[in-house]
Amino acid sequence: MAKSVIPIGPWHPLQEEPEFFTLTVDGETVVDMDVSIGYNHRGIEKLSEMKSFDQATFVIERICGICSTSHPFAYTRAVEDVIPVEVPDRAKYIRTIIAETERIHSHLLWLGLAGHFLGYNTIYHWVWKLREEILDVCEILTGNRNNYAIFKPGGVRRDFNMDDIPLVLRKIDGIIPTVDRLKKAILDDPVLHARLKGIGILTKEEVIDYSALGPTARASGVAKDVRKDAPYGAYDRVDWDMIVTENGDVFDKVVVRVLETYESIKIVKTCIAELPGGEIDLNIKDIPPGEGIGAHEAPRGETFHYIRSDGTNRPARHKVRAPTFMNLPTYKATVIGETISYATIILAAIDPCYCCTERMAVRDVEGKRLFGGPDLVKLSQEKTARMKREMGMP
Amino acid sequence: MKLPKARELVEAIKALIVGPYTSKFPYKPHVPYKSFRGQPKYDPDKCVGCLACEQVCPAEAIGHEDITDGGEAKRVMYHYTDTCIFCGTCELACIADNEGIKLSNDWELAFFDRKTESFETIDKELQLCEICGEVIACKDHLRWISERIGELSFSSPTLYYSKLKELGVIDENIVSALRDSGRSDRFKILCARCRRETTLT
Repeated sequence: MAKSVIPIGPWHPLQEEPEFFTLTVDGETVVDMDVSIGYNHRGIEKLSEMKSFDQATFVIERICGICSTSHPFAYTRAVEDVIPVEVPDRAKYIRTIIAETERIHSHLLWLGLAGHFLGYNTIYHWVWKLREEILDVCEILTGNRNNYAIFKPGGVRRDFNMDDIPLVLRKIDGIIPTVDRLKKAILDDPVLHARLKGIGILTKEEVIDYSALGPTARASGVAKDVRKDAPYGAYDRVDWDMIVTENGDVFDKVVVRVLETYESIKIVKTCIAELPGGEIDLNIKDIPPGEGIGAHEAPRGETFHYIRSDGTNRPARHKVRAPTFMNLPTYKATVIGETISYATIILAAIDPCYCCTERMAVRDVEGKRLFGGPDLVKLSQEKTARMKREMGMP
Repeated sequence: MKLPKARELVEAIKALIVGPYTSKFPYKPHVPYKSFRGQPKYDPDKCVGCLACEQVCPAEAIGHEDITDGGEAKRVMYHYTDTCIFCGTCELACIADNEGIKLSNDWELAFFDRKTESFETIDKELQLCEICGEVIACKDHLRWISERIGELSFSSPTLYYSKLKELGVIDENIVSALRDSGRSDRFKILCARCRRETTLT
């Protein structure tokens, strides 16, 4: 039987990012799919290698429009790993508070978009109205709704104004009843049950095979979270639970994100209550030669940064791995076998962020991809061998 | 007909009384929170023209131009609104007690002409070398240094002559007009290169 190909993209009408899906369908069922990314390559790694360690934070912050804490958090941890140093307690708490408020607003953003993808715009309007309150909290604490400009290798750039804290707590308490109602409305809605339950199932084995991260993995019963596995910041000092569900369908991904919002609210409130005094910055002057890695559990999964310093004031090599890079291949496991109408929400279920993921794109003049999987492995092995030779390793 | 639920009724009545959640923005001004990071603004009295802000700016949104011809010597400090990312690094790096450049709450920064309206400037008076005419620093910066190092400033003729000139207790005629880079030039306001040359002769 003849199969047809449905192209979605390169400008996705819903996810509003440049990516290109090719769905091969047999009737209504998707039998094969392919994703092309690389439309939005910005050369961020090279840019950050041209700035000093302190200035690069602002470029890193702009890798992602939504997680403008996650990337600087991982980057500053990588730089601190090069030296290595431990940041002051107050800085750790401030970082944790900002990271968690960001997680709340990111999860709410996805929730609203998911409603929008399903044609359920009531959820979209309600959730995004609620999200404004959290963005206000971010603005009060850091001075902007996004791009907080507060991270810096060795601590944080500016302290909280303690006069604003009562207002922040009032705002956070104010959103809890609305989140409660949303939770009830979303998790008990028969329409959403019908649309989302049993759709796009990602099994535990597939998560392990694909090394999926974040809520995508936790919805399939794989308990992995950098905040619990290798605690940093103030995550080991406050009490919170990792949300893990078992089914792995889109509905469980919604459940994980809704419940994680509560955990984040809990972490923010505890951190503000226990905020210690003291220094916020170590005033690092020199970064010695060496290598460092840093990871942070972004709202979408683990963000990973690698820094190599050669003793100058700028990174000699900076490598960024965004969580979507790991989650993207799971489409193969989730979309194939479903109908086109479900593909829309399944493609959005990993909370993809293509701009973060774009690191390299090599194409010939006709737009064909030059490197497949085996080619990339070969290139990587060659590079490792070259680096080993340069560094005089056996 | 299906009757509305009590919750929906409450919501509808609330919406009637409270009105829409959105604001009537262009007609009613938006007031951001106090901590909002808006456009950085120079304080011409506090700024010493040291260029620390230019050095740390990650977006290269701060620049300067030294004008030394036409009988005046001034440094024009530029802040480009269009490239600024409002990160506040300039304020944190400011040597004048973080008050020379300060983030304001201004956020309505739209303009029509990028060539003439995209920047803000302030002028600072420059101190030139009395032999070669090279720029040493802004006069305010030299004063800031001598205030910081106290009596140690008397070990540098450049610093204490600047100070004396400012107080008006120095007579211009006393200084020798000879331009031989010799011993007579030692007691002048000099740039680093001329200072070295006069010391070596």
